[in-house]
Amino acid sequence: MPGYPFRRPVAAVATLAALLPLAACSQASDAEQGGPTTITLSMQNPDVKTADPATWAIVEAFESANPDVDVEVSGQPVAEHLQSLSIAAQSDTLPDVFWVYKSNAEEMLAGDRLLDLQPILEEQGVIDSLPATTVEYFTSDGTVFGVPYQGLLTGLWTNTQVLSDHGLSTPTTFDELLQVAETLADEDVVTISNGASQSAFSVWQFLVWLDRFGFEEKMDGLLDGSESWENPDFVRMYEHIAELRDAGAFSSNVSTQTYQQAVDQFLQGEAAFLDAGVWAAGAIQDSEVAPDTTFWKGPTFSDGVGEQNIIMNVASAPLVVAKKVGEDEAKLDAVERFLGFYYSDEAQQLMVDNGQPPVTTYEPELDEKEQSVLKSALDAAREEGVSTPGTQPDLVFPVAVSNAIYDSIYGVIQDQLTPEEAAALVQRALDAE
Amino acid sequence: MTSATVTGRETAPPPAPATERRPGRVRHRPTRSPAAERRRRVRTRIIVAGIAYLVTFLVVLPILWIVLLSFQQSDQILSDPFSVQTLTLENYRDAIATLPLVQMYKNTIIIAAVAVTIGTTVSFMASFALTRMVFRRRGVQSALLLYFLAGLAVPVYVLLFPVYRLDLALGIFGTYAAVILPYAVVSIPFNTLLLTGFLRGMPGELEEAAIIDGAGLFRVCWSVVLPVMRPILATVVIFNVVYVFNEFPFVSVLINDPDLATVSLAVSKFQGQYSVNYGGMMAAATLVLLPQLAIYAVLQRHVIAGLTAGAVKG
Amino acid sequence: MIWLSSRWRIAVMVLPAVVLFTLFFAYPVLYGVGYSLTDAQGFSAPRLIGLDNYAALGDDPFFWLSLKNTVIILVVSVAFLVPASFALALLMQQRIRAAGALRALLFGPAIVAPILVGLVWVFILDPRVGLLNRLLVPLGIPEIQWIGGDSLTPYSIALVFSWASIGFAMTIFYAGLQQLPDDVMEASSLDGATRWQQLLHVTVPMMRETIGIVSILLVTNVFKIFELVYMLTGGGPVHRSETLVSYMYFVTFTSQRYGAGMAIAVVVLVLGALTSLVYLALARRGRSA
Repeated sequence: MPGYPFRRPVAAVATLAALLPLAACSQASDAEQGGPTTITLSMQNPDVKTADPATWAIVEAFESANPDVDVEVSGQPVAEHLQSLSIAAQSDTLPDVFWVYKSNAEEMLAGDRLLDLQPILEEQGVIDSLPATTVEYFTSDGTVFGVPYQGLLTGLWTNTQVLSDHGLSTPTTFDELLQVAETLADEDVVTISNGASQSAFSVWQFLVWLDRFGFEEKMDGLLDGSESWENPDFVRMYEHIAELRDAGAFSSNVSTQTYQQAVDQFLQGEAAFLDAGVWAAGAIQDSEVAPDTTFWKGPTFSDGVGEQNIIMNVASAPLVVAKKVGEDEAKLDAVERFLGFYYSDEAQQLMVDNGQPPVTTYEPELDEKEQSVLKSALDAAREEGVSTPGTQPDLVFPVAVSNAIYDSIYGVIQDQLTPEEAAALVQRALDAE
Repeated sequence: MTSATVTGRETAPPPAPATERRPGRVRHRPTRSPAAERRRRVRTRIIVAGIAYLVTFLVVLPILWIVLLSFQQSDQILSDPFSVQTLTLENYRDAIATLPLVQMYKNTIIIAAVAVTIGTTVSFMASFALTRMVFRRRGVQSALLLYFLAGLAVPVYVLLFPVYRLDLALGIFGTYAAVILPYAVVSIPFNTLLLTGFLRGMPGELEEAAIIDGAGLFRVCWSVVLPVMRPILATVVIFNVVYVFNEFPFVSVLINDPDLATVSLAVSKFQGQYSVNYGGMMAAATLVLLPQLAIYAVLQRHVIAGLTAGAVKG
Repeated sequence: MIWLSSRWRIAVMVLPAVVLFTLFFAYPVLYGVGYSLTDAQGFSAPRLIGLDNYAALGDDPFFWLSLKNTVIILVVSVAFLVPASFALALLMQQRIRAAGALRALLFGPAIVAPILVGLVWVFILDPRVGLLNRLLVPLGIPEIQWIGGDSLTPYSIALVFSWASIGFAMTIFYAGLQQLPDDVMEASSLDGATRWQQLLHVTVPMMRETIGIVSILLVTNVFKIFELVYMLTGGGPVHRSETLVSYMYFVTFTSQRYGAGMAIAVVVLVLGALTSLVYLALARRGRSA
């Protein structure tokens, strides 16, 4: 015995080592036996059923109409979702259909990881029901790499009760908004509810402001380096944010509250405006402020640049399909039918029923009372004479620049950056590209 | 056994001579009757206990708050957390409906049991060799120890991507082993630090005696060293189990099959792209927390405390 | 022991750990170091750029801020935590009713996932909705920016880190105290040494090894603080309250600049390795003393 003191532990380790691959085999091999085709759909919410009921409803309806297809929905918080995708992309283990930022999708396309969706969309006859600008937006070098997941219709949700309680009415210009902020600050009421912690991206309203200071015409120059972010127009935009801040428009804990807390602040009737988008309609509808809530596209600026009557109503991040789906005929067929269904009128109505605007040209049916909040947003988007930019400014840049844009805006809101420093911060990120 | 590996009591300075009481002290404490002395002792003990209870209360307070908030309506948590009328079981209903808790616990326990067994076993073996055995070249011994300990400050995010590829290459992706191996390995620096430290502080006579009696390496480890090391081994096991229960970055990347999900993913289920269900998070947290506290209480009572009770008062 | 130290016996003992550690730890770390020499970003293919990422860190004010915050947290929490948790372990050795339950409860914070530790403390420290200011403001004390302001955040993070770690450190100290040979303790108390003398001249010197272990664990854990910052402030306002790893996370994952993020990770790694070296040197000196 003294000669072989380690027989037992060694044996244990050896057994374990032998067992591990076995476990791997038993798990991996029951896919290819006829039966239903499984496609995986990987999303940016861990609990798709409650956090994204529109997608969930579409998947359910699709599965009951196509019993031979099984859609396996999985999800993670945005950060982990993107983390997993970037790892999977480099190992060629991407899910079949997934949500991803547009700039990332373009990078994956360059790495030849994504399927060209043009033939599918044509075959399914949905390409005509999508707005041409949307298809163009998701086209790169003649390849349609993505399809719109949901609409990005953003603005300021307005609690008209809070305003009228303080003898105010809904503003239209920036100067009026500034006055509202000054009045409300005296009464210790938050004007615009925002939350920077873990949600630096929640600056949708101020991204619209960039468009009201000439972003569209500067865009190409910013991308190719011939235009600087530190231009007088953008600096003026940041100055207006600073004016609002100095008027006491923002919550004193804007640094530490999350976007969710900002929403709750609005839902409790403690703020006049909420900087958000149409996705918040459901939560507002379920709250007590629903009857008093309207949707406002944001202030116009007398010193702005270009068209002021605009509303942000663009395609958000796309759904994309992994290239290797094309190698599996059954899968490809299932994905084709799934996308065909996603953009059908039936599915778009399901979207509306679950608080999302349609992404096709479909005219939805809305319940005036039950969906008053969503309706006010859709009405604002369809108002006479209002136009929409091609895209939201942060979406055209690599993620690092988008984050610099968010930082620059919150930097001014939190009184950490002067307007000039804010603009310089973004320019630095642009230079690094 | 070389003297270099023996520390602790031999090197401890002798107790200070007791007769050298400072005069100031003496003045405050004139000779007392035994009754007065006993009263003083009782008073000291009450004060000590009072401090202990107070500190414990302060430390536990935030945890109590998690539990309280888990019964509060989600929208009340931020605006009016103390409101009693709005207390509800809703969050627990949410948590139980959303989370396959039984499955999650089963997965976690399997993963923790195997990973912690592997992790502590290999760490113990290596630590024993690195402190007790005589290497021909001492430099190798120190270098190996540094090699392991350098891992203490590595942010786990560095490991995610390469480990994912390793899992794929080894064919263990999609199995428990995909997280078991990294969990076992990540615990090595911590385990080695604790085990080598405590081994160094342990006198070597017992082993010497056992070896002279003809014990082999295994007997020395198993029957001589292990019993003495039980308190610290129990501590190491507890820390490793807690780590597995709370680990998030690895499991979020290396497990994509919901059937293999562990409890550490539970809380994140309530965090959407544009929504956070704080109440659900708190309820999930409580459901993950309380069993661990119970496990710890049982372990520390029977393992850490039990062993020494016999030694001290026996 | 020399009799049992044949080469193959040593190999059997050491190799399992070495192989596993090399495969799942050292190799991945080298991989990360390699990445830090590239411009890897988003989902694009990486390109070698040498030490540019490290050079860029020098000019990055947020990196220096995060280093400064980490050092503040390090000093505050180690200076407070080591003595406090040691004292607590001594306290737990006294005969107290339900001491076992107290130890379990004190260990409680160590069980709470770091993400939740952060979340709970947001509800305590938040300047507007947090418990602390809810109690203080009615007393006429102005709203204090415990977190999210310009200056206090690192100290608040140190406080929360201390809360989360005190039971953990106490448990290690307690295990160390349990291993002290009883005869020495009894001998010294029979000698009539006062409690204080016994502590200073017997207990502390004998616990030197444990004190070293707890210190190095706390220091390396401070280097790794991430979730607390993420939940308490998200690093804000505008990265003012980032720590090294939270900023690394922002650069790596939020901004998707993997190469640059790995460079920060390597800095953390080097700091941690240096700490381990110092510890080993001290441990060795202690041994030969």
